[in-house]
Amino acid sequence: MTTVDTDLRPAEPSRSVMLWRRYRRNRAALLGLGLFAIVVLMALTAGLVDPGDPLRRAGVPLTPPFMDAANPLGTDQLGRSILSQLFYGAWISLLVGVAATLISILIGVVIGALAGYFGGWIDDLLMRITEAFQTIPNFVLLLTLVAILGSKIEWITLAIGIVSWTAPARMVRAEFMSLRNREFVDAARNLGVSDTALIFREILPNALPPIIVYASVIMALAILLESALAFLGLGDPNYASWGNMIGQGRAVLRTAWYCAAIPGIAIVLTVLSFSLLGEGLNDALNPRQKQ
Amino acid sequence: MTAQCAPILEVRDLRISLPASADRPFALDGLNLTVRPGEIVCMVGESGSGKSLSAGAIMRLLPEPQVSVAGGSIVFEGEDILAKSEREMRDLRGNRISMIFQEPMTALNPQKTVGWQLDEVLRLHMNATRKQRYAHAIEMLERVQIPDPASAYNAYPHQISGGQRQRVMIAMALSLSPRLVIADEPTTALDVTTQLQILKLIRELQEKDGAGVLFITHDFGVVAEIADHVVVLRDGKVVEQGEADQVLNHPRHPYTQALIASVPDLAPPPPKPVNGLPVVLKGSGLNKVFAARGGLLSGKRKAVVAVKDLSFELHQGETLGVVGESGSGKTTVSRLVTRLLEADSGSVDVDGKDLLACSAAELRGMRKHIQMVFQDPMASLNPRKRVVDIIAQGPIVHGEDPEQARARARKLLELVELSPAAASRYPHEFSGGQRQRIGIARALAMEPKVIVADEPVSALDVSVQAQVLKLLADLRDRMNLSLLFVTHDLRVAAQLCDRIIVMQKGEIVESGVTGEVFANPQHPYTKNLLSSIPGRSWTPPVRNTDAA
Repeated sequence: MTTVDTDLRPAEPSRSVMLWRRYRRNRAALLGLGLFAIVVLMALTAGLVDPGDPLRRAGVPLTPPFMDAANPLGTDQLGRSILSQLFYGAWISLLVGVAATLISILIGVVIGALAGYFGGWIDDLLMRITEAFQTIPNFVLLLTLVAILGSKIEWITLAIGIVSWTAPARMVRAEFMSLRNREFVDAARNLGVSDTALIFREILPNALPPIIVYASVIMALAILLESALAFLGLGDPNYASWGNMIGQGRAVLRTAWYCAAIPGIAIVLTVLSFSLLGEGLNDALNPRQKQ
Repeated sequence: MTAQCAPILEVRDLRISLPASADRPFALDGLNLTVRPGEIVCMVGESGSGKSLSAGAIMRLLPEPQVSVAGGSIVFEGEDILAKSEREMRDLRGNRISMIFQEPMTALNPQKTVGWQLDEVLRLHMNATRKQRYAHAIEMLERVQIPDPASAYNAYPHQISGGQRQRVMIAMALSLSPRLVIADEPTTALDVTTQLQILKLIRELQEKDGAGVLFITHDFGVVAEIADHVVVLRDGKVVEQGEADQVLNHPRHPYTQALIASVPDLAPPPPKPVNGLPVVLKGSGLNKVFAARGGLLSGKRKAVVAVKDLSFELHQGETLGVVGESGSGKTTVSRLVTRLLEADSGSVDVDGKDLLACSAAELRGMRKHIQMVFQDPMASLNPRKRVVDIIAQGPIVHGEDPEQARARARKLLELVELSPAAASRYPHEFSGGQRQRIGIARALAMEPKVIVADEPVSALDVSVQAQVLKLLADLRDRMNLSLLFVTHDLRVAAQLCDRIIVMQKGEIVESGVTGEVFANPQHPYTKNLLSSIPGRSWTPPVRNTDAA
């Protein structure tokens, strides 16, 4: 008479379909996704828009935007096309953003996971190291590292990764501390699963959602840090980057404001797209906020 | 009876609507209910029947606007609850209507001491000095029989046991002598002796103050113990209501009959001869002490002896029940013998080898001999893994070919009576009982010598519980499994266990063949435990037509 317990409920749509449904409920997140797509598109089509070197002289120096058909967004004081620098700069910004984020998340996950999983003296040791990093202001540490390593784009990316791993490490540690005592972890341990597999196969996937969300923040910060370095003249001069453009445009700010303003707007929109993206991911990955 | 008195609570045609995405339009449809002074009305139903939402409606604590009252009336002492402002409701809640919640851990604020939270109710509704309030709070803690009230007053919710937390909740609810107490499964998380004491406590209050009690439960034993009037709910509709005696002993509706038939009866199985059978699991001299931390300024708490000098033997094909109250150390035993917790001393021999002396690498190999079924079907399955991977994980870790392990996992699903379609799904798509079946399949996949089951059915509805227990018993008989079965529910123990050991405060006080222990308990604690089984004087009526 009672319902038979073994009847299955109807199957749910797959995880990715559910994620997308929850994501698209947030309009701002869709805007973020759109902006992000534009930046990616810019980076991918840079070679098509201007097949040549973006740092070559392309026209009369300091042409204002919309005056010259060959340089729609004008030129800077060395006669370089702002449009093609903008497109190539998108590439550099994305590269630095993605690579630095990966580096920092990687370090953060390993340190946070070890500290949170094992606890005890390992936790104490790793957290003291984390705190040592946190006491030095990010940008000062970054400047020091760039001064030591040099301002090649690879080193800059690495340095940005090294200065921003502390927050994800603490986050991962907190997640691990709450997850390591769950019954499903005990269940896996009871099957004879090794510590490494427990950390990376059982706990980490469950700890990932907040980290993915936070990655978008790091990505935005990384782009800002790279721009700030370039603004101070410590960027890699061999690449067109938005920071470099602002740094050089600063000198002619009063006469040719567009040299600094156009890449500035690009940075604002890119960073905005990442934070909107992060917000949307948070809604999508956090099932408690389903409503 | 007090039937002629003016009712405290009258609910007429109450209808609660659910959001459009829910499985049915109304959580409750046409609920009629009257609570008179000095009367205990039991609302019985399985999970999802809408009983907790009805309590929420009376307290006006529904998660509006998604879930809201769509029709009907609720009258409390002549006043229409639905017409009251939020301010007027605040004066009522905690003062004239109070509620005892289902989950004492989540209903108490983990950041504040027990004393602070008890004091909060008094501060809001009682005109008294701090000293008087403290005295009243301590008195209430004494009334709910918390050992060492002064220590409990300083403790944080996580520092006291589940039973004690529920006592604190009851102390809070009763401290202002309310007219109506809504108790939402207040004893579900408790052991029998505690449960009986708390049921008595609720009786006592109601006799003293003439309060009405609306008691929500799924347990027919509890109903038999306490109810004057019974309302049976199913999917938001009342299927049957009437006097307790009539509903319990002469149920008319087939659903009520089926529910009552699911209640395990207290007749133990015939004893199994164990002489000559090999011992597969042997614990000797096990000890475990948990050091408790006291705050700098918040008073001291003592270290807790969880298990003290415990020894037992489990024979091949036998089911050994470990029963006891909360805090008796029975769950610690299950974790010590599986070495999920490190014992302070002692040995656990599995198949003649001491598990506690193994190195980390040896231990991983030994683990396949002793498997576990966990208590919480929600928490014990990794939410990110497919069912087939969860079940096949153990064998793969121990070197079985992944393809073969997955094929075997699918067969195991059939064995635990789940459809093979379940294999590629994630745990959240299953009901509690189904998840527990998956947990059992995971344990069986290792072909263990011993299965340790830690309260495997305590989180399940009675009808589901009956089905899972039947499955466990079937599997045990067919596969000759040896079970170490930890439970607080003596009815469940009676049904499944060949022998039981009774634990109190970390020590074994009595052990023996289940039938003998139940018929002729020796130790006063065992006697107390057995006499506390809810509804022990009520024998569920045997149905003459088996409509399965």
